[in-house]
Amino acid sequence: MLGKLLKHEIRHSARYTMAIYGAAFAAMAVTGLSLLFDSGWLGAISCGMLYIIGFAAVVTTLVSIIKNFNDTLFGRQGYLTLTLPVKGSELLISKVLVSFLWIVASFGIMGLTFYVIFVYGKERSGGTMESMWEIISVSGILDMLPSKTAIIEFIAVVVILAISTIITYVGYVYFTVTVANTRPLQNHPKLYGGLIFFGIMSFVNTLGNVLSEYLPLTINVSTEKVFFSFTQMGADPNVLISYGIGGTILSGLVAVGLLFATGYIIENKVNIK
Amino acid sequence: MSKIINVTSLKKSYGRKLVLDDIDFSVEEGSIVGLLGPNGCGKTTLIKILTGLIKDHEGIVKIDNEEPGPYTKSIVAFLPDKSYLPDWMRPVDAIGYFADFYKDFDKEKAIKMVTDFNLDPKQKLKTMSKGQQEKLNLILVMCRQAKLYILDEPLGGLDPAARSAILDLIMKNYAENSTVLISTHLISDVERIFNRVLMINQGKLIVNSHVDELREKGKTIDEVFKEVFSYAW
Repeated sequence: MLGKLLKHEIRHSARYTMAIYGAAFAAMAVTGLSLLFDSGWLGAISCGMLYIIGFAAVVTTLVSIIKNFNDTLFGRQGYLTLTLPVKGSELLISKVLVSFLWIVASFGIMGLTFYVIFVYGKERSGGTMESMWEIISVSGILDMLPSKTAIIEFIAVVVILAISTIITYVGYVYFTVTVANTRPLQNHPKLYGGLIFFGIMSFVNTLGNVLSEYLPLTINVSTEKVFFSFTQMGADPNVLISYGIGGTILSGLVAVGLLFATGYIIENKVNIK
Repeated sequence: MSKIINVTSLKKSYGRKLVLDDIDFSVEEGSIVGLLGPNGCGKTTLIKILTGLIKDHEGIVKIDNEEPGPYTKSIVAFLPDKSYLPDWMRPVDAIGYFADFYKDFDKEKAIKMVTDFNLDPKQKLKTMSKGQQEKLNLILVMCRQAKLYILDEPLGGLDPAARSAILDLIMKNYAENSTVLISTHLISDVERIFNRVLMINQGKLIVNSHVDELREKGKTIDEVFKEVFSYAW
């Protein structure tokens, strides 16, 4: 059943996102045409559009995830969703996976739009394609890494942190929307939802800061390797990046806990209006 | 006959307000049951519990000897009292959705019924009238070969001609030997089809009778309803 849930979830949620993604590709095409026909005004307009659409793709996706979750479980569509012959956990997993997919896609679209703007700028100013590697290689960090293994490790860490950040967002949002739709709070779900969301964020961030004081777990990228440490490495001249990950790990763990709590509430405490 | 619904000592409250108070009843397979009562008496809450939409209640609820969950949802065809399909869906999408999730859904029958009821299979729900949407919802439910049909106010908001058509649709299409539980306050329209009635008022089950027992007393269901609930108005 999970496969069918994923299919219908993608189909349903695509309605919120595909229009803005389509607009992004249309603007990219127009930017390409402006270079082809050497039209400065067209290029300026399309780059402006790309800039706006790039951000809008992410914002629209994040908002649509909230709306879709709320509507399909706690709005009138909840009568359809929650009477399907599936477990609550399957419903939740399908929604988490599809939300994850759309968030990755939206950041991909944003990255692509900015890359097209960058290419346009380079072409207009007579730059070369080779110099674009600078932006792809994260301002040259990848070039500074000593080996292929170090590059892979660095990319793996970035991907894991990105996944953790996305799961954190989804976990916070799903928990917030679900709690705001329980009977005591459902008369003012937006108000209580906002309070709960920022309450959780503030609590976890504060806890993360305290944790970092006593347990400063950092990921470090040096000219020799990528490594973890329990001490601040920012002062080391060989360390290119030193990033505290204690807070990110804590947020991720809290989000996973909140997703389990969300599943429990959906199974046992939901009250559709 | 075995029991398809078994409810024992069911209590449900919203905060301090007791909505269902110590409800006990069972329903035999193959019955057509009317769930009757004035607005706000607890009918919809009872239906939400039977369909697994509300779980935080006291007492025992069993559908086909199982607590409400994925199994019972696979054998219960539920029509809520509001349109529950997303606006962007077309009848053809909704049929695909039901065919994917319910093994007992008869897709060919649904496609035929959509055409028979003059619905455009490719018209979006948001452009359909309320009556057309209700027809589609009912077609989807009645095209399942379910063990139990639970219909919450299927006739609400319809004119007499439409009510008759909808009632015919229900009676001609429910699976043989299945049980049908219909919640309604439009008793005169549907009393001819019931063989058992449950009447709820202020959270209590006050009538649980076979229709023949009522008829032996020389009363119609409508008359009993008016007698029982006269003080409620």
